[in-house]
Amino acid sequence: MSNLKNLTGPLSANNPVIVQILGICSALAVTIKLEPAFVMGLSVMVVTAFANLVMSLLRNGIPSRIRIIVQLVVIAALVILVDQVLKAFVYDVSKQLSVYVGLIITNCIIMGRVEAYALGNKPWASFLDGIGNGLGYMAILVIVAFFRELFGSGCLFGIQVIPDSFYAAGYSNMGIMLFPPMALILVGVIIWVHRSFKKDLQEK
Amino acid sequence: MGKINVNSNAYIITYSVVMVVIVAILLSVAALGLKDRQDANILNEKKTQIVKALGHNPEKVSYEDAKITAYILDKEGKVTSSDEKEVFEALNKIKDSFAAGKFPVFEAEDGSVVIPLYGAGLWGPIWGYLALEKDMNTIKGIVMDHQGETPGLGAEIATAAYQANFVPKELDQKKKIYNANGELVGITIVKAGKGVAGNKAHEVDAISGGTKTCDGVTKMFENSLKYYEKYLKTKMNPGTELQPLVPVNEEQKQLAEGETTEVNEPEQPAENGEVINKK
Repeated sequence: MSNLKNLTGPLSANNPVIVQILGICSALAVTIKLEPAFVMGLSVMVVTAFANLVMSLLRNGIPSRIRIIVQLVVIAALVILVDQVLKAFVYDVSKQLSVYVGLIITNCIIMGRVEAYALGNKPWASFLDGIGNGLGYMAILVIVAFFRELFGSGCLFGIQVIPDSFYAAGYSNMGIMLFPPMALILVGVIIWVHRSFKKDLQEK
Repeated sequence: MGKINVNSNAYIITYSVVMVVIVAILLSVAALGLKDRQDANILNEKKTQIVKALGHNPEKVSYEDAKITAYILDKEGKVTSSDEKEVFEALNKIKDSFAAGKFPVFEAEDGSVVIPLYGAGLWGPIWGYLALEKDMNTIKGIVMDHQGETPGLGAEIATAAYQANFVPKELDQKKKIYNANGELVGITIVKAGKGVAGNKAHEVDAISGGTKTCDGVTKMFENSLKYYEKYLKTKMNPGTELQPLVPVNEEQKQLAEGETTEVNEPEQPAENGEVINKK
């Protein structure tokens, strides 16, 4: 497998959310608006990439009996670092994300990739795999958030895009879009559309 | 490396200890190194929010430009400290400060005051800064913030669009915290169309889907304002037994005197009369 494939694979054929079905929980929680979804995707990408890198560097020395704990410590440390840096340099963004930054620790994608890939592969390949999976995760988050923000609040990135004349004519925002079940349905629709294009992913 | 048994107990223990120590050092260094910047951000944000509550654009008017004087009050509404650093320290731990009987307040040059609010939302604390006109009744502006309310639902309380509901443009629609009988009623967040008739000056529409957070906002008004009741009364009617406020400096004395004359202006009762008529 070439290194480039590590980067592009998770975008579609091996997407962490819609193919590996990881990280669904946070995909439901942070996709009400585009901005937090975008920054969340970015933070997850940074943590996945560096967790993969660090774990890949350490992979030969880790006692297998405590490897999950070691992974957790590395991931938690990275998440705290990201949180601290966000708080110091981009305070506004950090406030927007609030609890979600801490919740990156529990994101299944990160541990899943460390377990499945970084522990058995070279550092550079693992780093790219982390970036790729982070991007794949961010892509789905942004798609879901796009529809939820557009139909739920009539905005994109917090700017109103549905003209006032629509509202005057009787159009109103769909409140249901703001609730988590709608995110689940949207993710389902994305999986459906995706699989109808990628026939090899369809189960017999 | 190959010679060491990576699964022996001794190795595992050594490995964990070394790893934990390295991570601890790394995180401590990061936390200490970034602390000054983070604290500066937090202080700056508080000052910005106070300026915003007063209706200024924080990009144009800084806290210093707005000529704000910060005080700490006790339960009786008397000034116990006017050291800005101390006030912001009290503001940082506002929950403890309220419990300890230390109530920060910010007075602007024009006689309006900013009162910090603190309460509980659905998922975590919510807080805000309420600016009152110099009649100590009309809401001049409000800034609210939260720790972890649901984005798009409860978190909407932190948006300028929602906060604008507290400060209607029309003069006769202004929101007030005292009712016609002079009782402190605060502001109640009600579902659209569910308000009490004639109570519009003390009600603001809720966010659909954010009911629990909105209930928290109502409670926040109720609980925080009561600490300032005596102070507000004193400011409203200078000359009652609680006066003088023990002016900290000459400037404040002038300020207090200035208000006595302003309250006597005929404009003020007329405005109150209007509210009564509406009822």
